[in-house]
Amino acid sequence: MAQAAKPSPWMALTSAALTLPAFSASVPDQVEIGISTTAYRESDQNPQSVLVGSVQRYDININQFYLITPIGRDWGLALDLSHESMSGASPWGTVSVVGANTQLVMSGATIEEARNELSLGITRYFDTASLGFSLTRSEENDYNATAMAVNGEWDFNNRQSTLAAGLSYSTDSIEPSDALSFGRTLKQARRSASFSLAWTQVLNRASVLQSGFSVTQHNGYLSDPYKLRDIRPRQRLETAINFRYRRFMHRSDSSLHLDYRYYHDDFGIGSHTLRSAWYQNLTDQFQLIPSVRYYSQNQADFYVGGDDYGLPETVFQSSDYRLSGFGAVTFGLQGRFSQRDWSVSVNFERYLSAAGYGLNASRAEHPGLLRFSLLSFGFDVKL
Amino acid sequence: MSYLTNMTRLLLFIIMLLLFSCQTVQPWQRGLLARPEMQLEPDRLQAKLHSQVYFSNEASSGDSEVAGAGCGCN
Amino acid sequence: MGCPCELRLFAASATIAQHAAATCISEAARFEQKYSRYLDSSVTSVINRSAGVAATPIDPETSGLLQYAGVCYEQSHGLFDITSGVLRQVWHKDRQTLPRQAELEEITRLVGWDKIHLTDSEVFLPEPGMEIDFGGVVKEYAADAIAMRVKSSGISSALVSLGGDIVTFGAQRAGAAWPIGIVHPIQKESAIATIYLKDMALATSGGYERYFELQGKRYSHLINPHTGWPVDSLLSVSVSAQQAVVAGSISSIALLYDRQQAIDWLDNSGCSYFAIDQDLSCYGNLGG
Repeated sequence: MAQAAKPSPWMALTSAALTLPAFSASVPDQVEIGISTTAYRESDQNPQSVLVGSVQRYDININQFYLITPIGRDWGLALDLSHESMSGASPWGTVSVVGANTQLVMSGATIEEARNELSLGITRYFDTASLGFSLTRSEENDYNATAMAVNGEWDFNNRQSTLAAGLSYSTDSIEPSDALSFGRTLKQARRSASFSLAWTQVLNRASVLQSGFSVTQHNGYLSDPYKLRDIRPRQRLETAINFRYRRFMHRSDSSLHLDYRYYHDDFGIGSHTLRSAWYQNLTDQFQLIPSVRYYSQNQADFYVGGDDYGLPETVFQSSDYRLSGFGAVTFGLQGRFSQRDWSVSVNFERYLSAAGYGLNASRAEHPGLLRFSLLSFGFDVKL
Repeated sequence: MSYLTNMTRLLLFIIMLLLFSCQTVQPWQRGLLARPEMQLEPDRLQAKLHSQVYFSNEASSGDSEVAGAGCGCN
Repeated sequence: MGCPCELRLFAASATIAQHAAATCISEAARFEQKYSRYLDSSVTSVINRSAGVAATPIDPETSGLLQYAGVCYEQSHGLFDITSGVLRQVWHKDRQTLPRQAELEEITRLVGWDKIHLTDSEVFLPEPGMEIDFGGVVKEYAADAIAMRVKSSGISSALVSLGGDIVTFGAQRAGAAWPIGIVHPIQKESAIATIYLKDMALATSGGYERYFELQGKRYSHLINPHTGWPVDSLLSVSVSAQQAVVAGSISSIALLYDRQQAIDWLDNSGCSYFAIDQDLSCYGNLGG
């Protein structure tokens, strides 16, 4: 167990030396590579909640890769790749009958899709600042998206404060599969623009706090074309503030992470997210990280529990479970084994959602609320 | 949009509170903050994964810290 | 830098090697011009000339080095003090007699790191006649800075040596560490020990090359700023750490202690070291 001892001269001097310009840690000086594979499994529906269609939900396998490398003295490059393959079924709509629970109309378990994403970013590092630009492209058989982002960071107060600002823009297009057979819209597009600001402050030698704010505007087709009845506004303004706190605990040789986020948009949805993780060093090489996440959102203004085909198509309506009022809890446990230049990790998470977990008085619960488990294996190495 | 003004006020208040409550950290005390587990985002791939998973399953999209294009999942 | 400098590297081509060498030379010259106390235009001279007059604006590199010097002052309990250079005016080679107490008291009035006003962007020496000298930190830091430049020019293996302070990264041929010989204090042509470095720096501080004799007794050129008198120091100390500036501070501070305290300091420093005392006895766990 580590004691809260006075740092050795070596430790004190090295910490001080590392703040000198020659050791400017912000410029990556090593090539870093990471890979990860994840199995994501949504739990089957309770058969009594399904009126017609499959009781299965999604199974998704996700493979990720990243590479970070310095280029010359002042530049850095980051490459991110991701491949997801998903199969299963998803809710098409709901049916409400007076005196009975709302039931789901599910698709058949025949959805088979793959999504690929590539992201490339370059950053120019200055003495106490950096400026980056990135491009991202995502493709799946019915959906394409292209995004670009610019972000900058400035250090103040002898690197005790950092201001980060980011601007991003993306354009998406959707061409639902089997559009003609199912009477779906043929091709639609949407655009999003986002601005974010974050202030990171070193509070004392063992803790740091980041406060951030972001605003995003979406325009275009925002409805879900696979739902039987889903008509959403053609614009959406989202704002969020978030806080991230990190604190090192000497006596137990561990770190506490605490994140809080408040979100609000003009669909009428407000949400709170609270996440906490505890990084416990067990030995020099092994670390155990339990985590818990709590989430609560209230329903959108135009949310309906059961699809109402009587409403004219000019009235906004959606029975998507993601727009209903609910709460969710995630329990996670990660183990990490590290050596000087590489590490491996295993992570398991279980997510449970229910209307009753939410902070608002629980209305009728959407029958399609999700439960899932995920298991990831990761490896990263510095070359 | 009064909620926007309220949020801005809240954010400003918190920033003021922070600036007045911080201790100056001497350079030789800064080693702890450089530890991997003390980073805002210790695991790059996990952060992207969570961002994607929660974006597809909940209404509130993630902060644009993690740059990524959309998907047909929301 | 006023001392022998050497660069050894393995590069994929002669062009890359030449480019790296040119970078080193220009970086070394930059440090020389910026911090040498012998040049009127250096930052050191500008700061010293303004002692007792006005604060001098400084850039992040200078303020970083001064703050680092402050950490050395704290870690050495005030022994390592970059304002103690003025003591040279009392203890110099041409002196014939030992200084009187009054003389020492007058000069130690101008010594004291805690008297300096230092912020991120400026420094002020409050008493006219006060001087700071970057010599104790900048030479080793220059070795680190040069090594970093060499590393980022695409060289994967090199040894940078600035007057006995050495930084290495990568391996020599066939993955072997770089062998460094510690010069024998008396038989200057041979090595008293060989130390192997891999991705580490080695700094050596020694009083045996700079000392003076007064009335038959040999005095170290290092003066204890508390008492104003020379230190009964070890003959030579070599310390290994990841940064030359850190290794250099630990070895310099060791020489400011009297012999036994110096060994205790080195043992508790957290670094490997090799030390030789005035009787040529060797201490430490570094090398063989």
